[in-house]
Amino acid sequence: MKWKKVVSMICVTAMALGMLAGCGNDSKESDNSAKEDNAGAGQGEEDGKEAKAPSEVYDHEAIENAGDITITIMVSGTAYENDFETEQLPALAKEKWPNLTVEVTKLPDDNYYTSLKTKLASGECPDIILTQPMYAGQNSCYSMAEAGYLTPLNDLDCMAGRQDLASVTYNGDIVTASNSISILGCYYNKDLFAQAGIESEPQTWDEFLEACKKLQDAGIQPIVMGDKDQYVLQFGLYQLAANEIYSQNPDFDTQLRTGDTSFTDEGTWDTVLEMYKTLYDNKYIDASQSLGYGASQAITDFIDGKAAMTFDGSFNATALTAEGAAGSFERGYFPIPGTKGVYTATCLGAGYSIYSKSDYIDECKELLDYWMDGTSDIWKANLATGRIIATYGEGATETPNYDLFAPFVALMNEGKGFYWCNQAWPAGTETEMEALFSEMVGGQGTTVEDITQGMQDKFEDLLDD
Amino acid sequence: MAKKPRKAGSYTSPVFTKRMYFFLIPALAFFLIFWIYPVLQLFYYSVTDFNGINYDFDFVGMKNFVKVLSNGTLSNSLKNTLIYAVVTVLVSNLIGLAIAMILNTKIRLKGLFRTCAYFPALFSAIVVGFIWSYVYMPGSGMIAGLINLFGGDGSAFNPLGNYTTALFAIAAVEIWKGFGTTMIIYLAGLQTVDESLLEAARIDGCTEWQMIRKVKLPLISSTITINVILSVIAGLKAFDYSFIMTNGGPGKSTKTLMFQVYETAFTDMKMGRASAFSVMAFAFIILVTVFMLFFLNRREVEL
Repeated sequence: MKWKKVVSMICVTAMALGMLAGCGNDSKESDNSAKEDNAGAGQGEEDGKEAKAPSEVYDHEAIENAGDITITIMVSGTAYENDFETEQLPALAKEKWPNLTVEVTKLPDDNYYTSLKTKLASGECPDIILTQPMYAGQNSCYSMAEAGYLTPLNDLDCMAGRQDLASVTYNGDIVTASNSISILGCYYNKDLFAQAGIESEPQTWDEFLEACKKLQDAGIQPIVMGDKDQYVLQFGLYQLAANEIYSQNPDFDTQLRTGDTSFTDEGTWDTVLEMYKTLYDNKYIDASQSLGYGASQAITDFIDGKAAMTFDGSFNATALTAEGAAGSFERGYFPIPGTKGVYTATCLGAGYSIYSKSDYIDECKELLDYWMDGTSDIWKANLATGRIIATYGEGATETPNYDLFAPFVALMNEGKGFYWCNQAWPAGTETEMEALFSEMVGGQGTTVEDITQGMQDKFEDLLDD
Repeated sequence: MAKKPRKAGSYTSPVFTKRMYFFLIPALAFFLIFWIYPVLQLFYYSVTDFNGINYDFDFVGMKNFVKVLSNGTLSNSLKNTLIYAVVTVLVSNLIGLAIAMILNTKIRLKGLFRTCAYFPALFSAIVVGFIWSYVYMPGSGMIAGLINLFGGDGSAFNPLGNYTTALFAIAAVEIWKGFGTTMIIYLAGLQTVDESLLEAARIDGCTEWQMIRKVKLPLISSTITINVILSVIAGLKAFDYSFIMTNGGPGKSTKTLMFQVYETAFTDMKMGRASAFSVMAFAFIILVTVFMLFFLNRREVEL
């Protein structure tokens, strides 16, 4: 009996150690191997997988020649009826390549971030993942490329000749394939504007303030915001930053990192914050209400006709154009004008990256190329969802609500579109800005100088490591 | 065959033989792997500059601890957490105890009232937080609607948007959800009080208040200890309602210790610093709990 006990103990111990090894990670080794893969060294993996070296031009018939394969994709979001990623994409890919199975996992944002980190740490990341431009969010393409997790996509046909990819290009390599843009602007109720005697969209900051005043005088709440969800403060501030800062110095954020500029520089963020504060000082945005309103509650108020304007993104167009208690009134969408003209906070949207340790790098490239070629069935299905705003390809101008977005696309094409500020900042800078701005409009004695200093301190602190 | 005599000092019995310890191994292994090991990793990461993504991190010594102590986030979140904990512990225990005493008397529909009082505890914090954010909504929320109904100005009612009331507003939700659980534990304690002791007190001429003060409370002192300790731990670990209802705002007025840890780890992407924060929060919660346990146990003996 005794030997049985010993054998059992050894088995249990081995099992426990095995599980521990699975949970743990040899951080440096796994990371280094990822970096080597990314550099195209193509050495064998520590886990035995033979990574493929990215070639100058990928094999355009990789899927056809691969036999039966499965490509895994993980994206964030909530699946809807006949969901594009989880239902249409796999079906259309199967139609095009019968030997290809596409498995898509769609997770709510927080779950996605947690899952992504866990899978990257364990070296079992899906072949294609959703990433954000520059430093935005926990799945920012720059952070992930820096860690060596992303494959360069320079040889994708659909990326060739595009001039708008700077925010997904890391160290000269395109690392995210994005086929859409995201816009920040001001949704407005045309009926209420007419009621207040406002005939056209404001083209200057003074005209904008004048429109707010007219609405207020007519007994209409000019702007509703859900400031309880503090991130919505970005929707207005980033538009003003595009007007007041980036239009004058497009490299402002790059220079922040080198120390050539600072959030405390006169005529930059102090101007932006002061302008936005004006809206609260004059009760065009009522802080006593907005600080207790969530983002969705503000949207409800807007579609119910309780306020004439709200600052929001193109990503919420469906909710903001839905029918509410006020019926189906006509909506408009314009960029908040500044003192330097009209610029827009319009930037490249989230896109897809290929995991550097994937077994199917060329196959993934072929899939992405087909998906984003501007003519394929997958492209058309993606566009038909109305959830992306494309700037190229068939049917790009026929998507739902495109009329609302067209002026922004035009501005962007004129070179008057700038990325969202937080994309260039280390994550956390914007939350400090939001918290301090809330304190200021909430009457806590915080000043504009406190905010710019707080942002600078946080920025330096976050870059410190 | 004669049984072997038990060795002196052996704690195993014929029923629980030594080999039974073998069966503890799976549970113990899971506990070590999924609980102790991650906690130990927390200590490890607390001295690194790990950002949650890049495993090419470096050891930074005590830098994370120094940063947490010097950048003001700890003092703000600690202050908020302590206020939150004190309010929730006091109010939920007082309400729980009062309702338990009422529902321990011989009244009609006692079962129904007990069920109703416990009902909020059955919902998840996410659901409760979401519902209450609409209850508190200024202008058209449930409470504002009632104020409007009685001729008041419901739009002025904005507890979550006000710096002085936001923390208390989310504490009230925690109390609403949690007092049922507290009540059930008190009810169980009260039902262990021997009826003959209460009878004797009545014969001796005790008033109801004297009976509560001199007989019932001393006899359920261990229940009080359990409830207070559980509430203190829950209060110090507060996260749910800050996250769901206010997202730490307005400003930083509802950022609790755990919320700050979350924000440092997942917004600022400073996993190393968040680990240092957690280690300090862990030490703080242990200290408070041990102190409370020591204090309350001594009170139990005195009573």
